[in-house]
Amino acid sequence: MQALRNIWFLALATCTEGIRHRALWAIVCLAALLTMANLGVTTLYSWDLGKVSVEFGLSAVAFTGLLLVFFLGMKILADDLERSRIFMLLSRPVSIWHYLTGKFLGLAMILLLTTIILGLSAALSMHYVLWQYPAYVPPNFSWHTYVMALACQWLSLVVVLALSVLCFSFASQLFVALLLAVFSYLVGQNMELLRRVVVENAHAGVLTGQENLVVALSWIFPNLSLFDKKYAAAYGMAFSGQEFALLCLYGISYSALLIYLATLLFKRKELA
Amino acid sequence: MTIPAVEINKLGKSFGSGYKKNQALRDLSLAIAQGEVFGFLGPNGAGKSTTIKLLLHFLKPDTGTLHILGRIVGQEEFRHRIGYLSELPVFYDHLTAKETLLLSGRLSGMTRQAIDRRIPMLLERMNLGEATNRRVGEFSKGMKQRLGMANALIHDPEVLIFDEPMSGLDPMGRHQIKGLIAELKQEGKTIFFSSHILSDIEALCDRIGVIHKGVLLYSGRLEDFLGTGGSLEERFVTVIKEADHASVA
Repeated sequence: MQALRNIWFLALATCTEGIRHRALWAIVCLAALLTMANLGVTTLYSWDLGKVSVEFGLSAVAFTGLLLVFFLGMKILADDLERSRIFMLLSRPVSIWHYLTGKFLGLAMILLLTTIILGLSAALSMHYVLWQYPAYVPPNFSWHTYVMALACQWLSLVVVLALSVLCFSFASQLFVALLLAVFSYLVGQNMELLRRVVVENAHAGVLTGQENLVVALSWIFPNLSLFDKKYAAAYGMAFSGQEFALLCLYGISYSALLIYLATLLFKRKELA
Repeated sequence: MTIPAVEINKLGKSFGSGYKKNQALRDLSLAIAQGEVFGFLGPNGAGKSTTIKLLLHFLKPDTGTLHILGRIVGQEEFRHRIGYLSELPVFYDHLTAKETLLLSGRLSGMTRQAIDRRIPMLLERMNLGEATNRRVGEFSKGMKQRLGMANALIHDPEVLIFDEPMSGLDPMGRHQIKGLIAELKQEGKTIFFSSHILSDIEALCDRIGVIHKGVLLYSGRLEDFLGTGGSLEERFVTVIKEADHASVA
């Protein structure tokens, strides 16, 4: 019970610290402006304005989330080590897994808050575009699908955050951890495409005959493209509750596994 | 017979490997009784902070064992019974003093009611009453050091471990922290603190340990270390020089 309490208090402190950070609000304001730029950008297109508007809004949320994970989230984690703040916490009955899980959940809460704010801001601008140009409203467009796509976006960011915590747990410097996390993110985004190209195509260049290797890699790296539902939301393609539930299960279990691995690696670290 | 508050047996620790290997501590053994104020004295780089980090299990020893109040460090939980103040206490800049202490109290297993009773009392004691709801990022160095002291005391621990508690403070700040340590001594707390400021050690400690290049040169009563005459500074310098000559020879 004390373990869950510790994790909750650490998550709450991390969330409070992050929310009061100026960098967070600078990024959020910039992103809110970006989603509002939707109004101007969509008018540059002469067709499919509705689809462009929805895709642009969700892309802005995704881009901002990544900025938050890589720059604010990893900075908060690195500051704990570099400024020896971690000693204040670990001199209490707090284990490494309480610490890492608490930090991870606190940062995930910040991401949730910003996703909600930016999702609302994007929805407002989309609503305006769809109202202004009713002829371009995508057939079968539904706000329900939009909200589910937004939730998938957040889950994808949570997985990237867990990846960043893992990289942070074994890298000696923030810059190295950041590079590894960005690399893993890029691989995760493109893994599914690569797997399909190699498995379904007999002429896949240097990777021809390496199907097993690519499939194994696709199991190791997160399949982030699964969470990308921008296309579904923009084209009014509903996705089932079952698919959504499976995505949630995948995102949560994959993140939990990464945090577990991060704990094992972090325990080996000497906090000199 | 009561168990010692702190017991260190044949402690060894090195950093790096190969030709870069640096032996930070060798065969260090000492015991501190409950209710005692023990000053851990040594020049910069002597191994004082390494010993403290090993005591708190931030580092793992190569050899030897450490016990706090009879609990084996690294195997049994003891941290709810100790309070720690680092040389440069660093807190979350955007949390207030009250929120910082609330977090520490909660992590130490205290109830909300107990914390709410203790925070105003501790902040008043540290002359931080007016800064209760100010963010720590706005605090001066001295204020942070006093908040660090409040943070170490929030759960009323039996053993206090202070790493250079007066380092970098102005005379007023040092005077205040010295006064607090003297009060804690009166309350019967066990205090293990490292310092290279000899006057602080002389004023506060029952017993001292002198460490140089990772080797414990002396552990015992302050009066016995001083011998027949001379100041602590003179005696300390002599002991360190003798150790240097012995290692050269």
